[in-house]
Amino acid sequence: MMTEFLTRLRFFIFRKKCGDLDDELQFHLEQLISAKEAAGLTAAEARRQALIEFGGLERTREQCAEQGPGWWIDTVLRDARYALRAFGRNPLFTVAVLATLTLAIGATTAVFSVMNAVLLRSLPVADPDRLVYLRTSNPPRGTGTIDSNQTFSYSVYDALRRQSRGLSPVMAYVPLSGSKVAVRYGEQPEEAEGDMVSGTFFSGLGVNLPRGRGFSEEDETKHAPIAVISYNYWTRRFAADPDVLGKTLYVSGVAMTIVGVTAEGFEGVEGGGSTDFWIPLQNRRELNAWGNPPEDGKLYIADSTWWCLRMIGRLAPSVTRAQAVAQLQPVFQTAAYVGLGSPMEGEKPPVLSLADAKSFPGYEQQFGNPLRMLMAMVGLVLLMALANVVLLLMARNAARQREFSVRQALGAGRGELLRQLLTESLILVTAGGALAWGFAEVATRLLGRWAEIESSLAPDRTVLLFSLGVLVFAGLLFGLAPLPVALAGGVEMALKTSAATSNTDAGKSRTARIIVALQMALCVVLLVGAGLLIHTLRNLENTPLGMRIDGLVVFGVKPNIPSIPEGVAFYQNLMNKLRVLPGVESVTIMEERIGSWWSNNSDMEVDGRLPEVANGASRTVRSNVAGPDFFRTLGVPVLAGRDFTDSDTAKSPHVGIINEQFAKRFLPNQNPLGHTIGPDNGQYTMTIVGVVKDHKYRSIDEEPIPMAWYMYAQIPMVGPMHVEMRVHGEPLAILPSARKAVQQLDPNLPLIRPMTQREQFDTTISQHVLFARLAGSFGLLAVLLVATGLYGTLAYRVNMRTAEIGVRMAVGARRPQVVWMILKDSLWLTTGGMALGIPLAMLVGRALTSSLYGVEPLDAFSYLLAVAGVAVVALAASALPAGRAASVDPMRALRTE
Amino acid sequence: MPTSTDLLQGTLDLLILQTLALGPMHGWGVAQRIQQVSKDVLQIGQGSLYPALHRLEYKGWIRSDWGSSENNRRAKFYRLTAAGRKQLETELATWDRLSDAIALVLGRGAEASS
Repeated sequence: MMTEFLTRLRFFIFRKKCGDLDDELQFHLEQLISAKEAAGLTAAEARRQALIEFGGLERTREQCAEQGPGWWIDTVLRDARYALRAFGRNPLFTVAVLATLTLAIGATTAVFSVMNAVLLRSLPVADPDRLVYLRTSNPPRGTGTIDSNQTFSYSVYDALRRQSRGLSPVMAYVPLSGSKVAVRYGEQPEEAEGDMVSGTFFSGLGVNLPRGRGFSEEDETKHAPIAVISYNYWTRRFAADPDVLGKTLYVSGVAMTIVGVTAEGFEGVEGGGSTDFWIPLQNRRELNAWGNPPEDGKLYIADSTWWCLRMIGRLAPSVTRAQAVAQLQPVFQTAAYVGLGSPMEGEKPPVLSLADAKSFPGYEQQFGNPLRMLMAMVGLVLLMALANVVLLLMARNAARQREFSVRQALGAGRGELLRQLLTESLILVTAGGALAWGFAEVATRLLGRWAEIESSLAPDRTVLLFSLGVLVFAGLLFGLAPLPVALAGGVEMALKTSAATSNTDAGKSRTARIIVALQMALCVVLLVGAGLLIHTLRNLENTPLGMRIDGLVVFGVKPNIPSIPEGVAFYQNLMNKLRVLPGVESVTIMEERIGSWWSNNSDMEVDGRLPEVANGASRTVRSNVAGPDFFRTLGVPVLAGRDFTDSDTAKSPHVGIINEQFAKRFLPNQNPLGHTIGPDNGQYTMTIVGVVKDHKYRSIDEEPIPMAWYMYAQIPMVGPMHVEMRVHGEPLAILPSARKAVQQLDPNLPLIRPMTQREQFDTTISQHVLFARLAGSFGLLAVLLVATGLYGTLAYRVNMRTAEIGVRMAVGARRPQVVWMILKDSLWLTTGGMALGIPLAMLVGRALTSSLYGVEPLDAFSYLLAVAGVAVVALAASALPAGRAASVDPMRALRTE
Repeated sequence: MPTSTDLLQGTLDLLILQTLALGPMHGWGVAQRIQQVSKDVLQIGQGSLYPALHRLEYKGWIRSDWGSSENNRRAKFYRLTAAGRKQLETELATWDRLSDAIALVLGRGAEASS
């Protein structure tokens, strides 16, 4: 074996000389001739017989070559060289195919990467199939929640944790802030996303901690001041410093010792974001759940009316989900009323259920439908693109029929032709695939940024397999689809002399015509989809917000507040400092940042009782806590009464402001000023002193809803606030001086997510923007593909029919008739495509309904636009070939025969 | 022309190796030798001979060098390598075993002749 390998290697490097074999054979032949002569034949006869006996040389040559090492490589290289030469001769074709493949496969891979990362990939934990989220049908009466189905009180967590046998362990986790929390490592204050978690969090999930350690149950009971940071945060913020363990991270001013770094890929179980660090559940006012100020002096641990913790559990070994629920249900239903008193009569008790936790929570809700839709769209584009390349290849190979015939006539077998075609396809697909992968990398990153997906989108094995699958499919398709056309000529064709007459078989292009018609149908679908989404986006962008949005800048502050008067004083101080900055017109504060999806929702009492509402309409009021000059700063018109002012203080009568909707629904046909309103627990009342015009609170696409505002200086709690400033000129330019003002009050305070108010509102439609942009580009791509596909097919047909057209013109056809002949062709294709596409588009429009805003799924405008678009493109793509057909010179066309 | 007998797969290699065991020889010589020794039963055409020679050479069992023939013509001479000699021994042993076995099956075995 070894000898053979070494020998072959030697021959592979030092090739046998080309002429050697020929010399050898020549010698053999001469010997044969002399042998015959020696046997008595004449020289001529000896030569004749010897040559007959000797037989063909070519086969021997080939067989000898086949024995040699690297013969296989030689063949492939030869095929490849041949293919490359052919591509080089036809650069336009090559560029068109590569560009099509790059765009289509790249876009598909990118969308798939995102979908994979967001919807398909499992949590990077041990045995994710056994993890479940805890859900409740509803919270008990008299409680406040973060999410009415997904959050629980600490007392529920505590009971479940102690008494659960079905789930082991039950873990709780809760963010330290609705967005980011102030942290400090070294000097500069900054912000990061952090969660408080159970002591069993890392061990229960089965998260690896290659560096340091996780938490223990003791850490939870002792509220240990320690932190684990994510791999992502470690590399991003700490430059993967191995000495980070033992260092101090200040979280809201509280020193935490870093004890561990999670394995790469684990970014928490919070949906839609990536958690930077975790600390054990704490019990101190600076680190209350969600960063809220304590309510009635109670932190989340003591406040059983605040359902704010999320929970995740691991099914105990050999326990089914149903068994676990059965065991936990009574425990849960008892624990739910701890501290709340007994349930009211007829009150529906909350019911516990378990939901799959194997993939990231929230993502499905947030991105599920849009992503699936995008995947479908990009899939259609991919299909069209592949079809286009097949069309191009078919046209190209039809034009090469003579070449194939000649090769067959010269002895190339079908196998060899197939090998040649597959080699060509392999080269195209490999080159296209490499380009597409590069394109996909960039596109994935862009997509992630636009969609504000913070978790890692790095392609994993699934993505790689997906792309490889697409490529292999494309490779086989491109290799095999043109084969029938290539072989159709057969050997005989080489013998026919006329290129023109041999190419007139009409039937061959039927496949091509069907493909083009299907492409048009898909194009209509994509254009209608794009039209609907772009129309939606226009509607959203042009939705009036009800305020003067330009010139507003917003940022959050999260001061350390030891007592309510000190908190109020801090904000009053801060506003006073900010108001006098040059260029500032007015300043106010608010608890919930407007345009960030957040709001306080509750029922409200009017004049001491819950208001009557007609036929079961909702009593929900969205409220916010605001500072002085709130509406003047926002530019919301005050319709009656007044705005909050500095003179509304804790000592003055409690005042509140409502919007038109509130007045209309709960105080119809009367002057709302002077009525009292308050939360439904009756513990706080305020007198309405102003009615303002309806405006947007949470997002751009919300419907008008009753809203009410509390004065921040009067309510019994004060926590982190957002500062809103109206400034002259560029809003963001005020930030450095604002930052200085904040840090004069407390050097530990960063500005949290500073941005213009318009940007803030735009985040609520960022998904629509992304969706519309992508749909638009896919639509454009589809149009481009249809145009090239149609143009290619028609141009090819005109070329093939040059002789026929020449004859027609010679016998009296006029140019308009010839043009019509070609246009008729494309007209048929277009009509057919549309007839198929419009019903399909209606189905798609129905599926899109939930993503539309102010647009009917059967929006006539979008359909007209799509149909017109396809028609124009079809016309444009056929104009050139028709023009060429009309300019055929009959004499020349006939003479080439 | 005597009908040429189709050679068993692999047998040609054995014949060539055996022939070359006598000394270096060119392709024509190998073919002639096999034909003579087999009393014209085995005629090796160039179409099988040269691919076989090349195959053996690539396997490292024979080597080739250019030299001059008896009538002073340039010819390629093949000779057995050490590996080839070993291969010949193995193949001969295999052949013996095989032909004995076939002979036994055909009822012309050793007992019949004894």
